[in-house]
Amino acid sequence: MAEQRGTVGGPVLTEWFATRDLHKLDVYESLGGYTALRKVLKEMTAAQVIDEVKISGLRGRGGADFPTATKWSFVPKDHPGPKYIVVNADESEPGSAKDRYLMENSPHMLIEGAAIASFAISGHQAWIYIRGEYDLPYEMLRDAIAEAHAKGYLGEHSFGTDYPMDVRLYRGHGAYICGEETALLESLEGKRAQPRSRPPFPAVKGAWGMPTAVNNVETLSTVPWIMRHGGAEYAKRGTERAKGTRMVTVSGDVQKPGNYEIEIGVTYRHVIEELAGGALPGRKIKVFWPGGSSAKVLPGSMLDTSTDLDYLKSIGTMGGSGGIIVMDDSHCVVKAAARLLRFYAFESCGKCTPCRVGGNWAVRTYERILAGEGSQIELGILERVSDGLQNGRCLCGLGDAAGWVIESTMRHFHNEYEEHSLHNVCSVEAALAHA
Amino acid sequence: MPDVNVTIDGHKLAVPAGMLVVEAAKLVGIEIPVFCYHHKLDPVGACRLCLVELSPGPPRPQTGCTTPVAEGMVVKTLSPMAVQARADILEFELVNHPLDCPVCDKGGECPLQDFTFRHGYPTSRIDGPRLHFKKPIPLSETIALDRERCVLCYRCTRYYDEVAWEQELTVGQRGVQSFITSQFDQPLQSIFSGNIIDLCPVGALTSRVWRFESRPWDMTHTASICSKCAVGCNVNLWQRRGQLVRVTARENDDIDEGWICDRGRFDYTDVNDPTRLRTPRIRGAKATWADALQAVAEGIKGKKVKLGISLPADITNEEAFLFRSLLDGPLRGARVKMHGRTALPLPLGETLRIKEIDDARVLVVVASDTENEVPIVNLRIKKAVSKRGARLIVIHPDGVDLDRDPRTVHIRNAPGSAAAEVRKLASNELLKSAGGLVAILYGDGLGSEEIVDLAKSCRELAEAVGGKVMPLYRATNERGALAAGVAGWDSLDGVEALLSWGPPPTAGIPKSVKFLAVWDHLPRPQNEKAAVVLSATTFAQRQGSYTNLEGTVQFLRPPIEVDQPLKDSWEVLTELGVALGMNLDYAGIFAIQREAAATIPAMAALAQPPSAEPEPQPVLVGPAHP
Repeated sequence: MAEQRGTVGGPVLTEWFATRDLHKLDVYESLGGYTALRKVLKEMTAAQVIDEVKISGLRGRGGADFPTATKWSFVPKDHPGPKYIVVNADESEPGSAKDRYLMENSPHMLIEGAAIASFAISGHQAWIYIRGEYDLPYEMLRDAIAEAHAKGYLGEHSFGTDYPMDVRLYRGHGAYICGEETALLESLEGKRAQPRSRPPFPAVKGAWGMPTAVNNVETLSTVPWIMRHGGAEYAKRGTERAKGTRMVTVSGDVQKPGNYEIEIGVTYRHVIEELAGGALPGRKIKVFWPGGSSAKVLPGSMLDTSTDLDYLKSIGTMGGSGGIIVMDDSHCVVKAAARLLRFYAFESCGKCTPCRVGGNWAVRTYERILAGEGSQIELGILERVSDGLQNGRCLCGLGDAAGWVIESTMRHFHNEYEEHSLHNVCSVEAALAHA
Repeated sequence: MPDVNVTIDGHKLAVPAGMLVVEAAKLVGIEIPVFCYHHKLDPVGACRLCLVELSPGPPRPQTGCTTPVAEGMVVKTLSPMAVQARADILEFELVNHPLDCPVCDKGGECPLQDFTFRHGYPTSRIDGPRLHFKKPIPLSETIALDRERCVLCYRCTRYYDEVAWEQELTVGQRGVQSFITSQFDQPLQSIFSGNIIDLCPVGALTSRVWRFESRPWDMTHTASICSKCAVGCNVNLWQRRGQLVRVTARENDDIDEGWICDRGRFDYTDVNDPTRLRTPRIRGAKATWADALQAVAEGIKGKKVKLGISLPADITNEEAFLFRSLLDGPLRGARVKMHGRTALPLPLGETLRIKEIDDARVLVVVASDTENEVPIVNLRIKKAVSKRGARLIVIHPDGVDLDRDPRTVHIRNAPGSAAAEVRKLASNELLKSAGGLVAILYGDGLGSEEIVDLAKSCRELAEAVGGKVMPLYRATNERGALAAGVAGWDSLDGVEALLSWGPPPTAGIPKSVKFLAVWDHLPRPQNEKAAVVLSATTFAQRQGSYTNLEGTVQFLRPPIEVDQPLKDSWEVLTELGVALGMNLDYAGIFAIQREAAATIPAMAALAQPPSAEPEPQPVLVGPAHP
């Protein structure tokens, strides 16, 4: 359940979420839905839409945090062929469940946002690439698209204008790598999901070789609100550089895990302790991932860190996809890192050497450490693998993320690693055994 | 495009804009190791081995194989960042690589070995079990796959997709469990499958025909020409201990671009057959060459139309010239039939050259299944369509592999009506708005088409739309034999004497034959009744030249010497001529070549000596050169 925090002027994304049957078109419309798309189609130009979004300061909410208006402006509007908006609904980042929450509560919000984005890049077709496991959101989107078609909001004459507009769905087949935008495009085209070498970037050569902008669900879901209230209104929220609100998912050792909309700039302590109810009784928060498992971890002592995305970058981590994973002192960090590396090694597409081999080598090394066969050599291997996965070695961010997990957990919890490798002891387990 | 100035490891050079960093580095002799990059495939940047430091650029290494040079770019391959990145990637490649070097056929010409020595860490930190696969897997009768050795550079699958337009090789699973596999585990069927052996940078894809045959440094090789079809691909013929042990591609961008088909690559084992004929025989008894040739002369002279001569598809220009001399002299009137030729006559004017296919805007392929008839020209057509944006029109009664591109226009003609369809094309939109060269390639429809009219219609179309024609001959030296006038088409029925030069006639020895003389390298049941058997040299021993279908004369370089008591064909034909009463005296094959060049205009190139033997390559850079 989303708890609407009092931000400047109230929530943006979750504004109408308490309304029953919001997923139905007439309910969505009765609250003000589709007024933005109607206005955009009938009264605005594509350039004006991009300007409004630029004023808002909206940045990508999928993890890359790239200014949305800038991304749309890279799409050459004079290109003779089709131009596509592709919605990245592949949400597979461990810890992140916000996109599903948005799609299940208000599928029309995403459809309206995707259509406005299509208009902004002078395109007529949006594709929603949704991960195959998301059955319910897929069905809800499918029904919502049918409703929109029936009412003439999508189709050859969107809202009675001469502007054709369509939104189509494509289901993924179960791979984390499809969250990477070029791998997503490969999968959308029916090919093996492996990232492409960039440049060329999707804005120049994307889906089927055509200019494409790939945007996250939350990013596009924010667009109707911006068009209704104006970019300046959105920019009143948030911090100086990172504007607006965002969704976060809090999970792990907290009392009230869930999805929350926050104003960017509040502290993690506010999110974890006030919104999510704080640590479980009798436990202390030891470590948290500030934005999905791919974000470098922060120790519990840094709970007062701001959620400002630029600030997080400056201290070496990231706000990512907002999947905040909280771990308390009853869990072993080495085991957690080992489990995460198994995820990354399993999901590796296998195209580039460092991620394909390094991920697996790290998994085997962790297995040896946790089986009591570790030594200084294993610690050295983890450091070298982590180094070999980062710094531009890999073709996409999956390898880098695996490297960050190793590096950040080793940096903040080196004592636990040493205990395991050199002494074959887990002090966490020991403490629990005596509890 | 104008040149740009770049600096690579301190060397300043000017290179064409758009050239990739790895290619520019080669110009100054700097090796940036690559696995997934191949100069004939689209770059992907998958293996990450070519990481170099670029400035101006981000503070991370960049892949040199996907980055084109830019003005003022500074490339550092020896900075600490680049050196460590490269060594790290090599270490990762070796983590699961089996310790197979002693038993791996690639050893000695293996880029992985060479790069590890030159760029990798000197000691290994891998101390644990490696990934295992069942191995080796027979991908086909001629190719073996070893999945443990595979470094997943994807050159093989990308070659199949991009160059050969086939789907039979693919990747299964993902991540570290990825492996190369054939679709539905069926054996590879494509005639182009063998090139993956040359492409594979490790010993994962190896030739089963050459398996465990030799180490590279125990072989010598010559730069020769393939003798299996009229395209005339350039090949390297490798010999060891007097045996032809393998055939690999030799890159000639004018003709084959580094690809050869499976016929040329694997069909050579007959050269080493232990039952090969070595001495001439008269009615089964060993004889000297002088006696044998005298017997042949006795049997065939003065027979006029009662003499039949069967010529092989791979007759050399020099043999053809000598046969012309014989047919103009003592064997005048004999009937001649050449193996395996099309019904196509000599072209009437200028013809298209193979490399011009690259520049064609529209290609028209008539009455030919190019995949089986002229395989490497088929690959060039595919390249023009998929990489150069050419349009393709096919006129053929059946589906062909070129239909796999959805934009191919396929006109299914009734057999025999190809010429009519060609004439209709004069008003075709694609041809009228071609905007450049139109290439018209025509075969003989395996005999189903009226050839003279078809050739005429193609030439008319070429003149109408600004194009050039390419007659697709089938026999290896069909064009050379036609130029010499010995590409005979006569029926051999009713001849009393038959001189069978090469393999026996496909229709069999006619029943009327009373005197049979053969020149062949293997014992065959058809030749059991032969009066004289002359032990022949094979293509691996023969000196001479072929004229390929575009008219280029290319010289053979045999890797195996003609050892006693064998004699080379030009020598035997000369002595036969003498035995028939001619006054022939050639000091060597060059003398024949000069005379042929002087008498037959199409063979003028024979007067030019063959180009110098290429510099011996150090064994470290083998056929799958990076």
